[in-house]
Amino acid sequence: MRKRTSFLILALILALLLSACGGETGAGSGGTTGTGPSDTGPADTGFQGDPNNPVILHVLENDTAKAEGYLEALLTAFNEAYKDRGIQAVDANMDEFTDLATNGPYGYGPDVLYQANDQLMRYAEDRHILPIDVEKLDCYASTPEAAWDAFHMTLDGTQYTMGVPVNVQEPMLFYREDQMPSDWQTRWDRDGNGTADFFENWCDLYALSREIHDADPNKFGFMVSMNNLYLASPFMLSFGNYIFGEKDGVLDDTDIGFSKGQAVNGLWALRQFAEQMNEGCIDDTVTLNRYEKLADGSYFTAISTPDTYSLFLGNLTNRYKQDGLSEEEAAKKAVENLKMVELPGKMPLNGDLSQDSASIAEDGWTTTVVMGGVNGYGISSYTKYREACLEFVNFATSFDMIKLRADTLGIAPTRSDVAAQCGDTADIIFNSLSSGRIYLMPSIKAVNQIWVPCQTVMGDVAKDPFRVKQGEAAKYPGTAELQAALETIDRNIYDAIHTLAG
Amino acid sequence: MKWKKTLDWLGAHLALLIVCFLFFFPVLWLVLASFSATGSIYDLKGFFPGSFSLSGYKTLFGDTTMYDYPNWLKNTLFVAVGSSILGTVLVILTAYTISRFQFKARRTLMKSTLVLSMFPSFMGMTAVYLLMVNFGLINRLWALVLIYASGAPMGYLVQKGYFDSISASVFEAARLDGASSFRVFRSIAMPLSKPIIVYTALTQFAWPWSDFILPNLLLKNKDKWTVAVGLMHLDETQFTRFAAGSIFIAVPIVILYFCLSGFLVTGVTAGAAKE
Repeated sequence: MRKRTSFLILALILALLLSACGGETGAGSGGTTGTGPSDTGPADTGFQGDPNNPVILHVLENDTAKAEGYLEALLTAFNEAYKDRGIQAVDANMDEFTDLATNGPYGYGPDVLYQANDQLMRYAEDRHILPIDVEKLDCYASTPEAAWDAFHMTLDGTQYTMGVPVNVQEPMLFYREDQMPSDWQTRWDRDGNGTADFFENWCDLYALSREIHDADPNKFGFMVSMNNLYLASPFMLSFGNYIFGEKDGVLDDTDIGFSKGQAVNGLWALRQFAEQMNEGCIDDTVTLNRYEKLADGSYFTAISTPDTYSLFLGNLTNRYKQDGLSEEEAAKKAVENLKMVELPGKMPLNGDLSQDSASIAEDGWTTTVVMGGVNGYGISSYTKYREACLEFVNFATSFDMIKLRADTLGIAPTRSDVAAQCGDTADIIFNSLSSGRIYLMPSIKAVNQIWVPCQTVMGDVAKDPFRVKQGEAAKYPGTAELQAALETIDRNIYDAIHTLAG
Repeated sequence: MKWKKTLDWLGAHLALLIVCFLFFFPVLWLVLASFSATGSIYDLKGFFPGSFSLSGYKTLFGDTTMYDYPNWLKNTLFVAVGSSILGTVLVILTAYTISRFQFKARRTLMKSTLVLSMFPSFMGMTAVYLLMVNFGLINRLWALVLIYASGAPMGYLVQKGYFDSISASVFEAARLDGASSFRVFRSIAMPLSKPIIVYTALTQFAWPWSDFILPNLLLKNKDKWTVAVGLMHLDETQFTRFAAGSIFIAVPIVILYFCLSGFLVTGVTAGAAKE
């Protein structure tokens, strides 16, 4: 008995000693529990630390910013500017999708993180990031309300802002200028406005795709992963439907509206366009091979996001090098020929893409709505240096840094003053955000549950033409079946939110 | 009769060739893909790349801005070598103790370890994570060494079988000559156990060398990643780099196996038959 007691005491002492061995845990090492909105204090941008013993902020940026050298430029500029104020920012040195919810509470997350609004707001709902007093920030006045809305959260009747917008993302159409039909100005520009009709409406893009594919079965006019809700969102969100309804000005996750309005016409258009693609459109194949296939001319256009521009450019440069051009010539030619435009703005209201666009009256079109997101900075609840983080966010969203970011990464900034200086694409995206043509990913946690149900049904509908080609019966031959599929999406999302995940 | 023998020979060799091809083809495919000039899996002409270059290997070792493969390799080597040394010592000691000594609860201990070793190691991952968090061992390479090495004695049975096969009279003679337990272990058991030590060291090296789950759980910072974790985080467009990294990680272990294969074969078969 005595021995046993001694052993137990010894084991206890050993456990305590080992627990005490835990050293500094790096980024966000506060080890505190989430505080959330109730802990809000006024944002203090007058932080003064000890220059001889600066506080270290761990900043998590995306991989593109790191690969293109923007993060290094940002950190260098910040550290130079704040060396006398005792703040030093370093790369968090983690995977760009590291989960703050998993690592933060244990002291291993970043202090400041750059993420899309849906991700940041998921953290916000679970109190993993702090509300920010944004009115004091340099970027506040020049950022449109639509961008701030992406980071708003209402709790007990009070609205909090949980992130600071940096740039807006939307699916864009990439193509090679040197692959344009030689006669596009005479055949494909009916209104003579200098923009090809197939970049203005979906019927002409469909017609061009059919022409290209008929001429060469290995070539495709337009490719996208049809199972990807974000990229194929024009087919899912342009027909008066919605993701979550609103109740008293707040998103209502019990009202799911993928099947509402004339959504069935959009799904019909998706099924129709899949006929002009290959089977890669059913799954993620197109998302993975679009860079090479656009470069080698197999795809005339493909959907992607602006932050992938450098990947398209790299592949196109390689292609030109293989064709015998020097490195410099290839890079120059790639920049000249790689184009990124918004998706066609007009979708036929009845969802029939095979119509002659000239025969459709003005009220026969609906405006294309695409899903988009606002990327921005959030501050971890587990940081020990909230004011210093705010200083960093203020610096990183200043005019100069956002301009540098836009120039380096080709993003579309949410700051109107930078967008105005960044050329056509950034300005167009910025205007689309302001005009509501971009449907922002809902900033509630429930948005996590929309992707898989949509992916399943969209992929299955896109597969239908290939079933028919293989001699099988069509699963979605008419609108009744498609409507049922949309209602299945709504039901599955509801179940996922309120039954399974709840 | 002769034609039947010939047919048997042909049939057996044909079957072996098919099996060899089935095993070898994916390896060949990966090797060739790692030399793809374009770097993409979607540029293959049929099964194999249309053009070849060393660019995959050059970027693997030269371009470390985003993916620091040499550093991952160094980390992996540290973990694998550390685990191998410490794990081998612990396994050999455990096996020798269980084999040569009679003590209270010996059989209970053996049965318990047998039952416990049947549970997959990832079952305890959550507990391991929480323990490591509380001990401040996240992002520490030697934490992995500790975990791998401390789990290693659970698989002591092969080594115990080997020690069981050494004649007890050898140990008794040493005892009669006045050797202590440690002296018997060091001067008698160890020289006779080289094959099983090599076998143990190799197996203790191979598991940490390629493990993904545990390092992915415990190593948060990119500069601490092992090769398996790093390769899993490569961007989807980096296929050639992935293939080159996968091929290169096999090189040290293949060299080790070839160098020590003589010991290995003896070690594996040792203990199979008891004297």
